[in-house]
Amino acid sequence: MNDILQKLAYCVENGKINKASPYPPNMKDQDGADELSKRALEEGIKPDEILENALIPAMANVGNKFSRKEIYVPQMLMAAKAMSSAMVHLKPFFQSGETKRKGKFIIGTVSGDLHDIGKNLVAMMIEGGGWEVIDLGVDVGTEKFLKAMDEHPDAVVGLSALLTTTMENMKKTVTVIKEKYSGSKILVGGAPVTREYCEKIGADFYSPDPQGAVNYLKQLVS
Amino acid sequence: MVNKTFQYDFNDLKLSVSQIENVIGYKEGEDREIVTDLIEEILKESQEISNIKAQYTIFNDVQFDSETKSVEISKIRFNIKKIVFGQIKKSESVAIFLCTAGEEIGIRSRKAMQERDFLRGYIYDVVGSEIVEAAADLMQKELEKAAISTGKKITNRYSPGYCGWDVAEQHKLFQLVPYNYCGIRLTPSALMDPEKSVSGIIGIGEKVKSNPYSCSICDLKDCIYRKAREKKS
Repeated sequence: MNDILQKLAYCVENGKINKASPYPPNMKDQDGADELSKRALEEGIKPDEILENALIPAMANVGNKFSRKEIYVPQMLMAAKAMSSAMVHLKPFFQSGETKRKGKFIIGTVSGDLHDIGKNLVAMMIEGGGWEVIDLGVDVGTEKFLKAMDEHPDAVVGLSALLTTTMENMKKTVTVIKEKYSGSKILVGGAPVTREYCEKIGADFYSPDPQGAVNYLKQLVS
Repeated sequence: MVNKTFQYDFNDLKLSVSQIENVIGYKEGEDREIVTDLIEEILKESQEISNIKAQYTIFNDVQFDSETKSVEISKIRFNIKKIVFGQIKKSESVAIFLCTAGEEIGIRSRKAMQERDFLRGYIYDVVGSEIVEAAADLMQKELEKAAISTGKKITNRYSPGYCGWDVAEQHKLFQLVPYNYCGIRLTPSALMDPEKSVSGIIGIGEKVKSNPYSCSICDLKDCIYRKAREKKS
């Protein structure tokens, strides 16, 4: 792999955002994901390559470490922030169509539930997997999910819930989406959700952690 | 009806950096340099921005129905379900409580998240939750003191949305108290505003007891509070 992409991947994996960022302490005053991604483009490396060979594998490593409980939420959030600072430079290429995303992913925490940390983590990891994420936020009713599906009919949908009682709202949302978009794929997750519950409500996939969701999406487009 | 209101100073809660780190998941001896300074900064900021209030009202007009696992309080029936029913069924009266950290910390968490300062947003969120839980602990101690002075005991506190009790029953709970009780309002989907607030019920009576490890009765196995408490014990 190109040296600069290797360094960029290392920065993302370790949450080094930019030169001014004090974290991690052993990389103080060194360039971060922000400067390196900019420099990679200036040196003529294609945005596709930056995404495929640096950002996606770095975030996959972060996701796997989190799944293995080797890192905590803060490290994951720092990595996501570093990735985000690199994505700023790639955005114009996505907008012009020069670089294609792998697909669209609509995500939201279901109605009656305000918990968003888990939902945000999944959104960040999926964005880091090369997908365009449409984040509907928290306390999202079925109608809002349907409206987003009407705008992006090919999108995969992710539903999150933290309360045992609000996960019942997942069932309603899954049923309504499947009625209108029978071929749609719906992922569910959140502390009280299980694989059995996922099957029971007719959703397509359950993952106990963000990386599982990324792997499932990867499988869908491979 | 006994009604008590409390306004707490942030320092009354005695929140520490290590307590927040523990909730996040860090174990003894693990490197947490990434969060320590930020937690310290946000705890300091919280002294200025928190508006910590708690309030409870005691209702004596209480009837339990073991068949439907419900309780009627002042003519309003709550389907509290099996777990909560089992814990409070021997109560002679109940306290309905609300408690809030104020709105600012929730606003700052969301703003930071929107600005993609994810770690800051997350720490605001965790600190906000700890503020409101610590304040509810203080309020609960006051209630316990008052109960003991009349020869009674209290149960743990239970909230709609947990232990199988439907979050939609918040609407009924709010019917028992005046509008803007404790400065908290309810959205149509039963969420509280300010978001860093808790509501619920505490049983009072001679035959009730509190459970020192309340997480053991809950079915939320991956909750961060359960994990943090398991690690402490």
